[in-house]
Amino acid sequence: MITVSAVSKSRSGMQVLERVSLTGAEGTVTAIVGPSGSGKSTLLRCLNGLETFESGGIDIAGHRLEPGSHAPTRLERLRRDVGMVFQQFNLFAHLSVLDNVCLAPRVVLGLPAAEARGRGIELLDRVGLGDFATARPATLSGGQQQRVAIARALAMRPRVILFDEPTSALDPVMTGEVQEVIVDLARGGQTMVVVTHDHAFARQAATWVVQLDAGRVARQGPAAEML
Amino acid sequence: MTSARGRRQLRPVRRPAGWGGPLTAVVCGLVLAAAAAAAAELDDVRARGELIWAADQEGGGPHVFPDADDPRKLAGFEVEFAALLAEELGVKPRFQQGQWDRLPLLLGRTADCVINGIELTPERQRDYRCSRPYFAYALQLIGRRDALPDAFDALATAGPTGRWRVGVLTGSAAETYLRSRPDLEVDVVGYDGTIDSLEQVSSGVLDAAVMDDCIFSFYADRFGRLRAVGRPFAGGYYTVLSARDTPRLSAAIDECIGRLVADGRLKALYDRWDLAGRQQMLQIRDATEVPPAARRSLGALVRETLPLLVQSAGMTVLLSCMSFPLAVAVGLAVAVGRTYGPPAVKPLLAGYVEVLRGTPLMLQLYAIFFLLPKVGLALPAIVAAILGLALNYSAYESEIYRAGLKAVPAGQFEAALSLGLSKWQALRHVLVPQAVRIVMPPVTSDFIALFKDTSVCSAITVIELTKRYSVLALSTGRIVELALVTALLYLCMSWPLAVLSRWFERRLEQPPTPAA
Repeated sequence: MITVSAVSKSRSGMQVLERVSLTGAEGTVTAIVGPSGSGKSTLLRCLNGLETFESGGIDIAGHRLEPGSHAPTRLERLRRDVGMVFQQFNLFAHLSVLDNVCLAPRVVLGLPAAEARGRGIELLDRVGLGDFATARPATLSGGQQQRVAIARALAMRPRVILFDEPTSALDPVMTGEVQEVIVDLARGGQTMVVVTHDHAFARQAATWVVQLDAGRVARQGPAAEML
Repeated sequence: MTSARGRRQLRPVRRPAGWGGPLTAVVCGLVLAAAAAAAAELDDVRARGELIWAADQEGGGPHVFPDADDPRKLAGFEVEFAALLAEELGVKPRFQQGQWDRLPLLLGRTADCVINGIELTPERQRDYRCSRPYFAYALQLIGRRDALPDAFDALATAGPTGRWRVGVLTGSAAETYLRSRPDLEVDVVGYDGTIDSLEQVSSGVLDAAVMDDCIFSFYADRFGRLRAVGRPFAGGYYTVLSARDTPRLSAAIDECIGRLVADGRLKALYDRWDLAGRQQMLQIRDATEVPPAARRSLGALVRETLPLLVQSAGMTVLLSCMSFPLAVAVGLAVAVGRTYGPPAVKPLLAGYVEVLRGTPLMLQLYAIFFLLPKVGLALPAIVAAILGLALNYSAYESEIYRAGLKAVPAGQFEAALSLGLSKWQALRHVLVPQAVRIVMPPVTSDFIALFKDTSVCSAITVIELTKRYSVLALSTGRIVELALVTALLYLCMSWPLAVLSRWFERRLEQPPTPAA
């Protein structure tokens, strides 16, 4: 499902990623861990084309990413299959919770409004926020917002979901509720890549752990052995 | 009202929102009229040693205009007439610049008298001291050498292309006369300057123009394609205006004019200016007294002027409501292009904004209305006004929207892209809606600013409320009453606008309805 082959990237003279390689099989959860500045987030953002890289190659959900930039339409097709959840949630501030979830299915997939709505309500129920459909994102707690963001990513039925430190901006209680949702998805066989500092969470959710250090893969192996 | 008034002053467009322009004019009218302080009488003028006379040097020839050889000096037959008058009074002349249609407001404040082609009318007899005539004018029809109409009577039947389009100076005797002749097949087009209508006749936009005969004689050399059609008609006199409460100054001026007529100095002056001195003397010597008009009741005044004022208020609304949506649409497109467009178009759009923002609105209106016809694109005045306002404001709107787009957090764009939205879908569904909400307050205040700026359109013959007020206040002399009526009309328009914009802002802040 995911194969990263010898990806390197530098930014203003600094080597950010150096010949990083990893694989993630379908239905597995890959955790990327490592100290701050080790290139975790950069690697993750390369996986859906938010960042470019200079050498190597990435195969993800049946799409191929080469070094350098890509045609916008190619990236749009890739991103339909590869969702992303951000550290700061990035919910659309002007839309209701339900519209946040329904927007991409309607606009990108062309789903009829009623069908998109049905899918949205079902997903909000699944993350425990069915009662908040008409609320504005700003009125929700951080944990609730992140769960909406997960529902928003799921609404595209992606083959892979990328999580960029999904709980770093949350307090312990809210962290728990978000991690619960992610672990639940893992049990359901959703292929995911999670960048995290939280080793306990990685052990609980991940099948495979990749540890980065200064842009290089320091170690990788099954979660049970690594942590 | 028969002055050779030239182009209006090119005022820089003031940006701060509000009702500045029209209201200031109205309030100034009120204040000036209310504070009709004791005017300088003959003794004060003599003690001062100076006769301060007011005119508009932008009015043009042959009355008062900057000397071609030395633009710091003034030339014109009225400049020399004022000098003679002052000499007779035993004082020196001092010129006071004023905007032509506001000149009478200077009386009793910064000027002792007005000498600038002010026509002797019953209304002026009532409201000011009017001297005995010093000049006789008549109206003249002007057309192209090679085209119809070839006589004034030809205006009584429709021309080859329908009704005749005839230009006049707004608020002038020519306009009053033509409007009093509904029997003519004529559409009257009002201009802010006499040269403007001559240019439009020359370029074929108008069929003809009507103005004081002496003005056309003065500019005839400059407009080789034009000719005087038929004989002068509907004549009248110019008078020296002074304040109501200066009877002795006014009497002294009359005496001086009498002496200048009697000893031939005035005739010599007019002969020097090629103004047929002998003919002039015959006419002004025989001038009969014009009886002062009766003061109209307030009710009659409002009944007579309100329809015109309301009609012009409608024009103000029409101009703003047509041009602003256009300005917003173009401005938004420019902002998106400058922020997210291809690199090649960014400098072009930046240039568009800087050119439109860096030049006065009035010049842009002139360019659209007077220059485009020269390349074969003649737009109706209202279309030109709407287009000019829309283009000018689009530059300001685009800068507001650019700031709005930059204020939307970068994460919003990334989140949209990560869901598979294209750049344009992200703009359409995520970035622009948020930017619009952010910039609502400045955009609303810009709409109000545009509302005010519509008054500039009078420069290209579109008469809106402020212009109509000026013209009516001048012709009726009822500055205070009309200012109040005009202010009320502006309030009637601004109030709903303010309520509407607040409602709109609130609506955008409320949670949206659930997914469609």
